[in-house]
Amino acid sequence: MIEFFTHVLSGVAVGCGFALVGSGLVAVYRVTGVVNFAQGMFAVVGGLCASTFLAAGLWHGVAELSAVAVAGAVGALTWALALGKPGTSAMNALIVTLAVGFLGYAVLVSVFGDTPRSSTGLAGMTSVFGVPVRTHHLLVIGVTAVVFILLWLFLTRTYLGKALTACATNPYAARVIGIPVARMALFAFVLGGILGGLAGVLLIPLRPMSFNSDVSLIVHGFAAAILGGLTRPMVALAGGVMLGVVESLVAGYANPAYQTMVALMVMLVVMVWHAARRPTLHQEVTV
Amino acid sequence: MSATTRTVVDSAEQEVTVPPPRRSWPRRLLLAVLVVGTLALPLALDSGELAVFVQVALSACVVVGISLLMGYAGQVSLGQAVFYGVGGYTAALLSMYGAPTLVGLLAAPLVAATIAVLLGLPLLRLRGHHLAFATIAVHMMFLVLVTQSDLLGGSTGLQGIPLLSVADREISTNLGHAYLAWAVLALVVIIALNTVRSRPGRALRALAGSETAAASSGIPVGRYKLTVFALSAAFAGAAGGVYAFYIGFLSPGMFPVTMSITYVVMAVVGGLGSVWGAVAGTALVTVGVHFLTLWGTAEGMPDYAPSVFSYAVYGIALVVTVLFLPHGVVPALRRLRFRRARSCEGKVKRGCSPGSRR
Repeated sequence: MIEFFTHVLSGVAVGCGFALVGSGLVAVYRVTGVVNFAQGMFAVVGGLCASTFLAAGLWHGVAELSAVAVAGAVGALTWALALGKPGTSAMNALIVTLAVGFLGYAVLVSVFGDTPRSSTGLAGMTSVFGVPVRTHHLLVIGVTAVVFILLWLFLTRTYLGKALTACATNPYAARVIGIPVARMALFAFVLGGILGGLAGVLLIPLRPMSFNSDVSLIVHGFAAAILGGLTRPMVALAGGVMLGVVESLVAGYANPAYQTMVALMVMLVVMVWHAARRPTLHQEVTV
Repeated sequence: MSATTRTVVDSAEQEVTVPPPRRSWPRRLLLAVLVVGTLALPLALDSGELAVFVQVALSACVVVGISLLMGYAGQVSLGQAVFYGVGGYTAALLSMYGAPTLVGLLAAPLVAATIAVLLGLPLLRLRGHHLAFATIAVHMMFLVLVTQSDLLGGSTGLQGIPLLSVADREISTNLGHAYLAWAVLALVVIIALNTVRSRPGRALRALAGSETAAASSGIPVGRYKLTVFALSAAFAGAAGGVYAFYIGFLSPGMFPVTMSITYVVMAVVGGLGSVWGAVAGTALVTVGVHFLTLWGTAEGMPDYAPSVFSYAVYGIALVVTVLFLPHGVVPALRRLRFRRARSCEGKVKRGCSPGSRR
């Protein structure tokens, strides 16, 4: 039984990482209608930067925060390429973010090399109700909880957050009342970069990352976020945690090779189910 | 016109300049020069360049399929390398278990198309980014299943694939494979051009614009989408079959997810919806990557330089094309010619494509 709870808790921790990647996707998609394929790359940037800064002797905390800041800056760069030219359609912007992924590979390989990196994170074990847990798992869960509470407060209680929501709900009306929609798109990408960077910083002690870990991260993030139709960050949190737990159980009790199949199957089933319920015309107007 | 309807119109107008096939003599001459040039070129290439030449043909088969799928039917696929892999494994398995190698090669596109139909039945209900992620998911599942399959050799893969023999003569040289690959590409291009210029081709363009509008004009939307998906899979499968005989071994590591995305890069660079554009885009990108990789392996370069250069080529080519030549290289050239012809006559030429309005 203790083994089961250990699996569940480590699954929750990894799932929190997926949820952060997924909420980054949501942040960008809500405001711009662009599915940002480079979101997984933001996480890889955050993770690799954090491990390098730590190896260079930077203090804990400073290293992690600067890594997240770098990821946010990469988010701004992605915005400049994907939406900087006015009139880029959402599908073209998705294709540009694919290109940003390739450019990211080129930069990451030349800066960090192509071998996987890891970092130590919080060492040691803690006992929760008699279940031994890696302390770092608890840190990941705690930080994610705080981040999602802050995100919720930001989106519902601040002017900037409400402006972002307004752009998501009705870009035309938002523009009419004087919200700079283009600048809000930039904010959304930076927010996506920060959330992705956080995911990378938190996940790298749990699973070593190399430049091409982004595909797995983006797919898990998308699978988490698609449950809420890519528009609801809190559903992305629930989805990410659920995926993490199920995958951890599959890896623990069945074949670890099949653990990613869970996220992939969930994603396919949810999307086909959504598509079957919504008439084509409705999708063509909104997608 | 609101923003949402605008994008729908945009995708309908995506450069699909197919002037009625006028068999004018300059066009025929150009085609003849191209064919003779392609046949003569491999004789002048060294072995490294010949490998690139083969790779261009094989990739172009896949990219023509993607171009039809994305440019005509408006469906995104980021998992097309799966069908390449399926074709390769089909040809390899059949010929390793004693079937004539030619049967293996012919079965490759058929099996790929069958799998595409089975996958397409549920997945082609999706569109846009949903379909993009669904096809990536299919690609990742393919890799997991192949790695776990003992029949397919797991992660070590299949080794000792026999050479292809046609009428008791083995194709063993690189030159032979080059002609085989380009013959398959020629077949693919002919099929694609005929599809595009047929009634179903026009129906596909209609459903790319709006499936609802197409369906209400009596186009069997689901069936046509499935057919073009299967056709593109068959193209990729045929190329994969040739690849298996050419390279002699297969492993799941040869079909990474990025491979599927590089095919999309080539299709976008050449021009979505343009068959010749697909071939040209593949050639441009592949040859560009080849030369930069050569430069990257030169002395004094760090050992990661080749991969950095190839990723940079894919990224930069894609960004530059989408932002500055949104319809791709070949349609942009074609439009330039239209514009020149128009300004000479000083009036709108009859038979101008709708794409040249903008």
